[in-house]
Amino acid sequence: MFVNPWAILIGVLAAGLPLAVHFLTRPRPVRMPLSTIKFVHEAVLHRRTRHRLRDAVVLAMRCLAVLLVALAVARPFLGQAGLSTVDDQADLVRVVVLDVSQSLAATSHGIEAFERARSLAAGQLEYRRGMKADLILAGARPASIFKRASSNFQVLRDELSKARVKPEKSAVQEALNLASEIIAREDDSKGLRREVVIVSDFQRSNWAAADFSVLPEGTRIELQSVAPAETPPNLAILRVAAQGRAEVGRDLRLEVEVANYSESPQTVTVEVLLGGASVQLSGLCGPNLKTVLTGELPLHETGWQTGEARLLGVSDALAADNVRACVFDVRPAPRLALVTRESAAKRPSASYFIERAVAPVPGASGDGAGPEAAGEVPSSATGGLLRLDPAKLDREAVGSADLVIVVQPGRLAEDSINQLVGVVRRGRGILYVASDAADAVNLRQIAAATSGILKFPVEFAPPAARQPRRNLFLAEMQKDQPPFQIFGDELPALVETLRFSGGLDSRRLEGALAEDILGQYSDRSVFLASATLNAGGFVVLNADLTASNLPMSPLYVPLLGEIVQKLLGQGRRAGEIPCGEPFALSLPPDAAAAAELTIAGPARGDGSPVDGEAAVGDLADDGAGVMWKGDAAGRPGAYRVMHKNSPIFAVAAAIPAEESDLRTIPAKVFEERLAGGREVHFRSLSGLGADERDTVWSWLAVACVVCLVGELAALKGFKT
Amino acid sequence: MPATSNNRFVEMHALTALEHMRFTTRHRIEGTYTGRHASRQLGGAGEFVDYRDYTPGADLRRLDWKVLARTGKAYVRLFQDETNLLCTLAIDASGSMQFGADPPGAKKSKLEYVQYLACALAHVINRGQDQVGLAILADELVACIPPGGTASHVTFIQETIEQLTPRPTVHMAGALRQLFEQSRQRGVLLLMSDFLVDDLDDVFATVRLFRHRKSEVVVIHVIDPDEERLPAGAAYRFTGMENEGVVHCSPDEIRDLYAERFSAHAAAVRTLALSNGCDYRRVSTAIPYLQTLGGFLVERSG
Repeated sequence: MFVNPWAILIGVLAAGLPLAVHFLTRPRPVRMPLSTIKFVHEAVLHRRTRHRLRDAVVLAMRCLAVLLVALAVARPFLGQAGLSTVDDQADLVRVVVLDVSQSLAATSHGIEAFERARSLAAGQLEYRRGMKADLILAGARPASIFKRASSNFQVLRDELSKARVKPEKSAVQEALNLASEIIAREDDSKGLRREVVIVSDFQRSNWAAADFSVLPEGTRIELQSVAPAETPPNLAILRVAAQGRAEVGRDLRLEVEVANYSESPQTVTVEVLLGGASVQLSGLCGPNLKTVLTGELPLHETGWQTGEARLLGVSDALAADNVRACVFDVRPAPRLALVTRESAAKRPSASYFIERAVAPVPGASGDGAGPEAAGEVPSSATGGLLRLDPAKLDREAVGSADLVIVVQPGRLAEDSINQLVGVVRRGRGILYVASDAADAVNLRQIAAATSGILKFPVEFAPPAARQPRRNLFLAEMQKDQPPFQIFGDELPALVETLRFSGGLDSRRLEGALAEDILGQYSDRSVFLASATLNAGGFVVLNADLTASNLPMSPLYVPLLGEIVQKLLGQGRRAGEIPCGEPFALSLPPDAAAAAELTIAGPARGDGSPVDGEAAVGDLADDGAGVMWKGDAAGRPGAYRVMHKNSPIFAVAAAIPAEESDLRTIPAKVFEERLAGGREVHFRSLSGLGADERDTVWSWLAVACVVCLVGELAALKGFKT
Repeated sequence: MPATSNNRFVEMHALTALEHMRFTTRHRIEGTYTGRHASRQLGGAGEFVDYRDYTPGADLRRLDWKVLARTGKAYVRLFQDETNLLCTLAIDASGSMQFGADPPGAKKSKLEYVQYLACALAHVINRGQDQVGLAILADELVACIPPGGTASHVTFIQETIEQLTPRPTVHMAGALRQLFEQSRQRGVLLLMSDFLVDDLDDVFATVRLFRHRKSEVVVIHVIDPDEERLPAGAAYRFTGMENEGVVHCSPDEIRDLYAERFSAHAAAVRTLALSNGCDYRRVSTAIPYLQTLGGFLVERSG
């Protein structure tokens, strides 16, 4: 069993080199008549035996040295032959499942786990009379070489030699199902023996839910693990994202999640390159923990920016996960529209509190001047906020807004309802501050206008007259989700003093997602709920701001800011798809027709696209816009949809985070819990002392040196 | 003897410097004619050298009557005859003697060196009124010219030496034995060879026959300096000069062992020569043959 069996062939050929050199470099003899040839002959006869012995010893030493070097390069594993039972001559069908997921690229003692796996798999695909076999390469989409088991071992071995690690996770159950199908196709009338040999590192994250019961009864299952005895330390970048919306002229707040899969804390440094800017983030990551590094990166250009995050100064088992591509849609400063009937001059009012929270620029908005003073609510701008009258909604103004905030709109007309729904359909966001009965009706009508596609988790209703809503406080919040996430451990203290009155009652709808309810009052009514439609977002803030102390709380402005950022980032969030997995992405509603768009794959270092990988997936028009679909995401990197040489959309393909966790499942778990009633034999290189055996190559190298020293000693000895 | 010669191995101008020197021997020899060398015959025509007791049967003509009259004791007077030297030049013509001629003309091969040396020796011996003969040794006795003292005889010998061509051979004992059988006189045998033969022991066994005959044997061991050590270089393809085949090797790997083997060979030749009562002289082709010859003659003259 060799890690690099090809080295044997090269070694055998190279072993002839000393002989060839010896014979080719022999000096051309000079012809000379000699009277004393008798003495020469005697001397030669005397010396020839000695010299021939010397030449033979020296050449043997040299050839042996070359062979030993080749053997050392081939990296033999002793005692690996015969892991699988080949003890009788019965007909046998064997399916070898070879894990080609990214984790197999992890190295231990300088050897890639996949090379060990390939070697083990090759050993299972040796010809044997009466045996048929098939090979399944288990990536994200497991595929077998043949539809049925075949005796064409040459093709299987050729395919095995061509197999490479893929930057994707292994679909374990699909591979088992496929193996089951292949075995089931074989006729067992002759007492056929069935074997499934799985060669993998048996990562905990991939194999914990494996179910071997899908394999036919009587199938002998052999698990051959190539994972080292000790889980090799590994650092990985699991996620690169931005907090909020990426806006030009404003620093992008980056979040990089780093995992430390080792037993010791590590100080990690991540360099993020985006466009022409870069930033280094550092932090301490505890053992077997994940940490989020944050930092700010200035953005100077709008449009889709692609880049990557890279761990610096790291030499770990799996190098591929030390880099992660990222894409961000850098937008201009957002345009906000405030739809309200309230006068800008009315203070305090809900719209005033909202206005101050989202556009805290004082002045402007024509305080006390013009029509507002007369109680009318015309369209006006305050900083980046455009105040609109719900009774006379300007279609163009609403259409151009990145976020629409609806506060005290009164009963909305059908046209206004449709305009708001259109906003969400185009991937924009709406923040609806609901406080009175008209809002409940409006929300119901908005949901109805989407034909039920926009599903709120709750149904809002006016509070019952006998049960006024007073002195409510926040009881439950999703602390690890925006907008509450940023408050961290201080959240309880911040919300403790909040008291609410007014607002709407809510009734939870059947089939509603709990994740859409972000916060609840003490009476179980909803404080904050979200819903999505296409790429757009809809958040309902159920609170009468004028009847609560929320606007006076230090929590208020950041809370509103987080909600606004969440909605502004809706549909424009940095996208990421796992490599090897199928994907379907909706392009922005303003994208051109699919025929005018092209897909560009990850670029090389010089920026040119990689041949054959430039296009991944297909673009197709559908009713809601352009869909980008693909059976399998390509290799890691940024993929862009181009329109006239400028990107209109981008997504980053990344290695699934599970692949970075190299911890494995113990043999006992397979044999006792996951076997599903099947006969499972677990064999591990580490269990057999692979590390010790893996040192064979070093002994071979020592033997090589001994040969060279022996050659020198032979030369010296014979000369003496 | 002409003042000039067409023989390329006879450099008359150079040899004039050696004309005052004579090739001598410290052994008593047998010659054909009266000469300046002590003869093995103690006759009455020579110089008085000693007395010995009279024994019955001794030649009464040599009885010293005066001493008998004065002392009453009978003594016989002994006289040393002087005779000329019969010298045979035995040249090894094996293929290995051709070593050193590659590339041609660069320097003398061992055979060429011996040819120069033998021609000069023949000249010097002849100038000393001695007789000189020639034997060409290979697997068999290629040529054998009995000793002669005339100028034409020497010229013939020198011409024979000039025309000498090497032959691939690894045995020399047979040719030497043939020479032994063909020559009946006691004289001096100058054996000039590199002794790179397979039957070195047999060669010296034959040499022993000459020694038993009371001939003086002078062993001239010719060595090329390039034989003593292997050339520098990464790889050589050595080819034998006597059809020994081909050997591929890297000289660096066997240099020491080769030098050791060659030294052992040279030492073996020297030991065999001296143990058999021969006069041994190691000659390097790096030294000019006239210098070698001069030194040899001086040493011989004592």
